[in-house]
Amino acid sequence: MILKKSKSLLNILSTVGLPVLFGALIYILWQTKVLHALFGTDEIILPLPDRIGSIISDNFTNMLPQIASTLIVALGGLVLGSLLGYFIGVAGAVFKKWGMGGLTIVSAFNAIPLVALAPVINNWTRDLSNQVDIRSTVAKIITVTIFCTASMSVNAYRGLTEVKPFSEDLFASYGSGKLKMFLKLRLPNSLPYVFTALRVSVPACVIGAVVSEYFAEQVVGVGRQIRENIVKGQFPTAWAYIAIACAMGILMYVILLIVESIVLKNRRAR
Amino acid sequence: MKNKRLLAAILAVCCTASALTACSNSSTSSTATDSSASEASSAEASSEATSEASSEAASGLMSNEEIIKKAASEGMVGNWGLGNEYEIQALLSKYGQPTDYVTMDFTMDQIDKDSITLASAMTYNELGLIKNSYDGGYSYGDEIGIIDMNDEGVAMLEDMLFCTKAFAEANPNTVKAFTSASMKGWVYACEHPDEAEEIVFKYGSSVSADHQKYMAGEVAKLVTTDTKGNSVPAANVGQMDDEAIQQTLDLAKKYIKIDDATAAAKLQELTLDDIRSKDYLTYDGGAVEKSDVKIQLKWLPQSQFMGYYVALDKGYYTEAGLNVEIVSGGGDVSETVAVNNGTVDFGVTWVSNLINANAGGMDLLEVAQVYQRSGLVLCYKKSMFTAQ
Repeated sequence: MILKKSKSLLNILSTVGLPVLFGALIYILWQTKVLHALFGTDEIILPLPDRIGSIISDNFTNMLPQIASTLIVALGGLVLGSLLGYFIGVAGAVFKKWGMGGLTIVSAFNAIPLVALAPVINNWTRDLSNQVDIRSTVAKIITVTIFCTASMSVNAYRGLTEVKPFSEDLFASYGSGKLKMFLKLRLPNSLPYVFTALRVSVPACVIGAVVSEYFAEQVVGVGRQIRENIVKGQFPTAWAYIAIACAMGILMYVILLIVESIVLKNRRAR
Repeated sequence: MKNKRLLAAILAVCCTASALTACSNSSTSSTATDSSASEASSAEASSEATSEASSEAASGLMSNEEIIKKAASEGMVGNWGLGNEYEIQALLSKYGQPTDYVTMDFTMDQIDKDSITLASAMTYNELGLIKNSYDGGYSYGDEIGIIDMNDEGVAMLEDMLFCTKAFAEANPNTVKAFTSASMKGWVYACEHPDEAEEIVFKYGSSVSADHQKYMAGEVAKLVTTDTKGNSVPAANVGQMDDEAIQQTLDLAKKYIKIDDATAAAKLQELTLDDIRSKDYLTYDGGAVEKSDVKIQLKWLPQSQFMGYYVALDKGYYTEAGLNVEIVSGGGDVSETVAVNNGTVDFGVTWVSNLINANAGGMDLLEVAQVYQRSGLVLCYKKSMFTAQ
């Protein structure tokens, strides 16, 4: 019992402690300019962390609308992309004959680089509205949606089809119809796969939002601020927004892990 | 068969999703303003279109002020951002309008398709594309009207030559030799724009020969005319007009928005002497300290930079004892960064970009002002702003 406890304590120490230690080490190397010497760069390109921190704390209220805009795009695209991906997975599982082929097409879409996709979608949505904020937001959300669809559709398809053969037989022997088998067996079976997909698409949706902002018509968002400030030579401010983008991605990932641990709790215990 | 049905289903989901977002957003949007017919007060004529303007005022074309107010209230003013927006913001502020703008891509599709009505254009580049009918042009011709930043009093100076202060102090003869050879190239290019265009085209051109030719002619005007419309003699090419640079600095302090408190404070403290020096315009023949030098342009090879290509091609650099390599720009490593970290020795940028970079902690110095007036205009389709 005691051994087990100390073992789990050690576990927590290694999973939480090591990354924190590593982060602290990087911070110290950065602040003491060892990193600058290593990479042969200067404080203009790679400003010190305390300066980046002070820019964030000085301007946080001004940064909120930028963060909100990026969040709307990221979450909107994530939700739409995941739903769309899941529907495609369901369709693939229902119409098995060409399901895999359809998924290949979806995956091919995912291979289009984001930087190529974003300007094209900007052009598509230009006639949508004469309000730039509307058409620009829609364009960004569509970009993120496409970016988030593929991983969900492939994983959902696997979760819906890769059921244990004996459970399929069991359902069949009780004479349950296809719909019932779908609702009671396939859907629950796909849940862990959904989280696998989300682990990929949650960080991806932030990246997608940030990059789509580069090309958007409306000048707003964390990603846009990164680009504007880099081109204008304001590197400390650009780094402040980079730090915010990282924090957004990490925070959303942590929330996902917490939700996952709650939802899949019973499953794991079994 | 089934295949088609699924594709249709996927498409339907896509469409409803995007339609839903569009609907939820549009409920909050304001109604489009439909400005009633307003009598055009005498239009503030641009220098190039003085004779046309009076007849257009009679035909109902709005004044610059009315055009700007209408387009701004509808959110239809476009610019590229990334440091190119300050003159537009100054102009919008002049007429009491908010300084928001729509980001333009590097085409004129948005004004062509009416998703913006007032588009930023450089006289030597985008304006030629929208007006002319050569390959890549939009063939609007005289249907396009312009609002000139110089005439509106919000001109900020653009293309100029710079290096770091440290480089200039350590290699004064190199800087002087390079500057005077470059200006010699510019003088020749402006006197022979057609030949200059051919030279640029030879060194690699990002645009068609016809457009390059148009560009050479327009760039020559910017080099040889000042903000007030007076012509600049050949001997004065590259000279710095303190009044014009001061106006650029003043507008920059007002419209460059910096979140970084340290950089924002530094911006407000900048004086003319922090950003430009007139000491390097003439070269008296001293031995150059560094003979292999590189210059990074602000954009891809085109007539915008013809003076440097002419100086290279005509051997002006070699005569000055320099071995020059021209590096094209247009990537995301801006010329200010490249010069500051020593990747290249010289750069071509806009004065406002240098001010921004120096506020951010770089130590750059303008050594020659090539464009003596602003080449930025706002252009519009006259039919969009004619009162019925």
